Amino acid sequence: MSPAKPTRQIMLDGLWRDNPIFRQVLGICSTLAVTNVVLNTLVMCVSLTLVTAMSCMTVSLLRDWTPKNIRMMVQTLVIAFYVIIVDLMLKAYWPQMSRNLGPFVGLIITNCIIMGRCEAFAGANPMRPAFIDGLFSGMGYSFVLLAISVFRELFGMGSLLGYNMPYFSTAYWDNWIIMVMPPGAFFALASIIWLCRSIKMRETKS
Amino acid sequence: MKDKPYYPIIYMFVITAFFSSILIGLAQLTRHRVEVNEQLGFERAVVQAFPEIQYQDNRQIHDIFTERFEKDDRIGAYRYKKDGQLAGYAVPFEGQGFWDKIRGIIGIAADCQTIRGVAFYEQKETPGLGARIDEDEFRRQFIDKKIEYSDEPIGIVPAARTLDDNKVHAVTGATQTSIRLEALMNRDIRAWLDAMQAKEITP
Repeated sequence: MSPAKPTRQIMLDGLWRDNPIFRQVLGICSTLAVTNVVLNTLVMCVSLTLVTAMSCMTVSLLRDWTPKNIRMMVQTLVIAFYVIIVDLMLKAYWPQMSRNLGPFVGLIITNCIIMGRCEAFAGANPMRPAFIDGLFSGMGYSFVLLAISVFRELFGMGSLLGYNMPYFSTAYWDNWIIMVMPPGAFFALASIIWLCRSIKMRETKS
Repeated sequence: MKDKPYYPIIYMFVITAFFSSILIGLAQLTRHRVEVNEQLGFERAVVQAFPEIQYQDNRQIHDIFTERFEKDDRIGAYRYKKDGQLAGYAVPFEGQGFWDKIRGIIGIAADCQTIRGVAFYEQKETPGLGARIDEDEFRRQFIDKKIEYSDEPIGIVPAARTLDDNKVHAVTGATQTSIRLEALMNRDIRAWLDAMQAKEITP
């Protein structure tokens, strides 16, 4: 086993150096689907970050007892457990949001980021770093998604979090309908990946 | 213990039982709230099936629903009353969609012919494709169409086809959802019409 990574490095990896979206290109299905309105994205990000962090911690807790040949089954079970909790809470206390996100809450189970982190990190590391790794990978995912959704909602609807923005909601601005539709997400995602990778390349050169 | 061949099986059983029991407990705790929310979702769909009704919030939806809608078990639908007069019927429909059940309400005017509106309270179709049946753009198409036109039931047809009085354009890329929705809507409207006729014969 490789020597333990310092906490600071785990955080930086999740947020930037190994960012799930623009470095590993994982979990982009939800990136494309729920980013047309900032509020939906925010709830999705919080849910995903919680599920990732808790799942990684639990998988790490169980790692010494889990037989290697059935570890994927156990991981799926743990992830599903937390996702169902999130789903239940939304259904009970925020039905409107539950309806907006529709099947995407359930689909968090199949989000590759969680499984990826459980498999790559949590299965071989103690609980605390595993939790931090999950938390920061989730946050790395979240900040890219939020950036995309801010552009999509602003350009596509002229609002942010449902509030009309100056200039963008006036007659001077023609809403770019395509930004709200699924293809808009492709352009937004591609642009963000391009931007982040360009910055990163400059970083490594200097 | 760990190297025994049956260990993974027992382990999986134990861990599944553990996590499932927590979930069952949580589901029990939140059941009441979830049911209330589902009932409200249903009432909202009934009210939305008549787009002329204005409302501000959930409380008002519930008030409108209890005041103006009256369930009639003989026809399996709700009567809609406006100013004390029968103004239409809210006919529920449900059936298997592409992934899961689709449930909704179709509002039909008192003439038993003209559609007032359509609303859904449960659907889990593909997001971005089939799920778009829940969007205003698709639902608005039904307003003022006929449930039957020259002996043909409602049709949900591809965007290239021209429309007549009982056809609407399907969501492109959601063929399966459209086919199933068309079939289940027509089936339940038919059942309602038959019940209406039976009731007229034996009042």
